[in-house]
Amino acid sequence: MSLFNSLIQSRVRHADRMDDERLGQAVKPYHEIVDSKDDYELTVYLPGVSKGGLQITAENNELRIVGQPAWKRPDNWVTLYNESAEVPFELALEHDHSVDIEKIHAELRDGVLRVSLPKSEAIRPRKIAVS
Amino acid sequence: MRMVRYADQNNRSSGSGFTAVSPWTGLENEIDRLFNTALTSFGTNRIGHQFPVGVYEDANNTYVRAELPGVNREGINVEMVDGSLNISATRKQKIGDTEESYSFSRSINLPEGIHTDRVAATYENGILAITLPKREEAKPKKISVAVN
Repeated sequence: MSLFNSLIQSRVRHADRMDDERLGQAVKPYHEIVDSKDDYELTVYLPGVSKGGLQITAENNELRIVGQPAWKRPDNWVTLYNESAEVPFELALEHDHSVDIEKIHAELRDGVLRVSLPKSEAIRPRKIAVS
Repeated sequence: MRMVRYADQNNRSSGSGFTAVSPWTGLENEIDRLFNTALTSFGTNRIGHQFPVGVYEDANNTYVRAELPGVNREGINVEMVDGSLNISATRKQKIGDTEESYSFSRSINLPEGIHTDRVAATYENGILAITLPKREEAKPKKISVAVN
């Protein structure tokens, strides 16, 4: 039973660097997924990303989240020390059509994206009356 | 009499009798997996409590930017103590019906010559940005030298 193929390993947070042909270098943001009764609750940490820099696409069996940081270092600032990646965030999750794409709801607040991915009717648990 | 070979054919290169793939492959993979798991949880721990920061400067100010997504704005505490900047914050997270609270804190050593009473901070898009003005004596000076 694989509802979200990438869900299993993503309960452990990841911060992997990767190269995307469209974005150049991108970093996989820290994220958590909770499997609740009616939906999957996805939390993605996107520090520095504003609503304008966020792109969520649900296509076929993939949910892709791309976040461009809103801030760029001014030219006259000298970096003394830096631990931030200063590259876009990119997270791609695969699912096997267990999510109702039409009803996905997302909210970005203070650099935290919360996405509710409602389970499609077909996989929801239901009681079957026995006559 | 029949010869029975117990070795897996796939693990042998044809003819030479040399194993093309290390017989320890399975064990190596297992060790890698264990290390990955151990290191990932170690990393989570580090990141959970020590957030990434960047320190910058220009002619007039030193700037600190800290990645603190989703923290409680009122719970952010910024203090200057003996030339170091202490940042602490808490994040409340709802998992199902239970609410968990995480605390973060970090101390950053800063260059000398900062106006400690004029430090300003903003919190936007999950980034805490702190501006620390330099004292006059710490600013770079242009000295005109007359050349005869």
